[in-house]
Amino acid sequence: MSNVSDWNEAANELNAIVASFDEGDVSVDDLFSKLERATEIIEALEARLATTRAKVEELTPRIAKVAEGE
Amino acid sequence: MVTDTTSDDPVFEVGEFYQLITAHLEASFGRRRPHWVRGEIAKVYEKGHVYVDLVDAGSASSDTKRPVLNAHCWATPWAPLKRRLASEGVTLSAGMVVSFYGYVDVYAPQAKIGFSIVDIDVQGLLGDVARRRQELIERLRSEGLLERNKGTVLGPVPLRVGLVASQGTEGYQDFTGQLLNSPFSFDIVLVKTLVQGDAAPPQIVSAIKTLDKHGVDVICVVRGGGSKGDLACFDDERVARAIATSSTPVFTGIGHTGDESVADLVAHTRSITPTKLGEEIVAIVSSWYQGNVRTPSAHLLEVTADVLDEASEYLSERRRTMIFAVRDRLRAEERHLVSTRERLVIQGRHLIVSATQMLASSRQLLAAYDPKRRLAQGWSIVTDANGDVVTSLDDVTLGDAVRVLVSDGSFTSEVKAMERPSP
Repeated sequence: MSNVSDWNEAANELNAIVASFDEGDVSVDDLFSKLERATEIIEALEARLATTRAKVEELTPRIAKVAEGE
Repeated sequence: MVTDTTSDDPVFEVGEFYQLITAHLEASFGRRRPHWVRGEIAKVYEKGHVYVDLVDAGSASSDTKRPVLNAHCWATPWAPLKRRLASEGVTLSAGMVVSFYGYVDVYAPQAKIGFSIVDIDVQGLLGDVARRRQELIERLRSEGLLERNKGTVLGPVPLRVGLVASQGTEGYQDFTGQLLNSPFSFDIVLVKTLVQGDAAPPQIVSAIKTLDKHGVDVICVVRGGGSKGDLACFDDERVARAIATSSTPVFTGIGHTGDESVADLVAHTRSITPTKLGEEIVAIVSSWYQGNVRTPSAHLLEVTADVLDEASEYLSERRRTMIFAVRDRLRAEERHLVSTRERLVIQGRHLIVSATQMLASSRQLLAAYDPKRRLAQGWSIVTDANGDVVTSLDDVTLGDAVRVLVSDGSFTSEVKAMERPSP
């Protein structure tokens, strides 16, 4: 989760890396370091998403109880 | 001059005189000769027997000379009359115009000529009650009081409920049952009152005022079913005015289907029974809860799931894109290297071939100039003492020894003569 700040910022950085790949302006020297950074961001965001999902799962029955009017 | 009549006319004792009057009155107005008398009740008082002061309808109370009939109805005839009136929701009260059927009776100890009531024109009285009720409604309408309480604003979640009722009665149970069995936490502030009889209106008025000051969301006036008489207090002007002028919305649930009291008319909202009123209050809260809690909760769940799914999908897509992009990039690099290598090989080959060809032609060229071939053809090469090739007469002088190189060796010769051909 190192060096991955808030979601949007991280997603923007990730998008920029992907865009640079798409445009083909990544030198072979930079390829690995960029891929490594992108992987780091994806893993950090996935971990964050999993944590959020778990917390949501915990709250869902409580909200559902209200929504279904038990 | 005073006429002396004492000698001819009888002289009565007081008691005798009253007996004489009574006999005369009874002959025309007595028990056996009852009459109908119509008037407006100026005063009424009941204590076992009922005492009514009857005056001419419309006469002013300030008029000290207006005739007054002191009527009374003894307990025995009064009991059935009272029941009958009560069943119609009528209580004798000041201002009513009523016809009494009765007879004159004289009460000598107080020098009173009274009127003993044996019957009441109930139909006429009902007409009067209805008329007075209609007049009250018109009065309230003209003062804008029928609509006044309807203009008060009911808060969106009326959970603090002021209740004007008689605790423990059926109406009270029906109403509170609806609230307490609902899923909501109602806070019921009860002000106990009588809900029938003459003493009820002031208590109801006071209860409404107390609750209005208390700061509840709604005031509910509740009374179960009963006879018209039981419900008469809800046609009371004081009650109607208290409801109309309350700054808190007043809801009524009085009687059963079909009853409509003046209180119902001036209320913010009327329900036909206490049960229905309870349902109405619960429905208002329920509707708010549905719109502001339940529906948003369901929506919240959907949106949350959507956000998470989108985020998941986004990450998966980025991951795939990354893998493909890197793979493509590496492949492109590889392809580039391979083609470069191929180009180099082909160009190298060309280079070697052309170099070989160049060498071969050079070799041929060189072979043409090989001195040995010239020597074999009979040419020779002359060099001086220093070994330098002699190409001109100027390179030698007469007597110089020169060396002559031929195809198979050399010999030495001497310059003996020099001839220079003329141009």
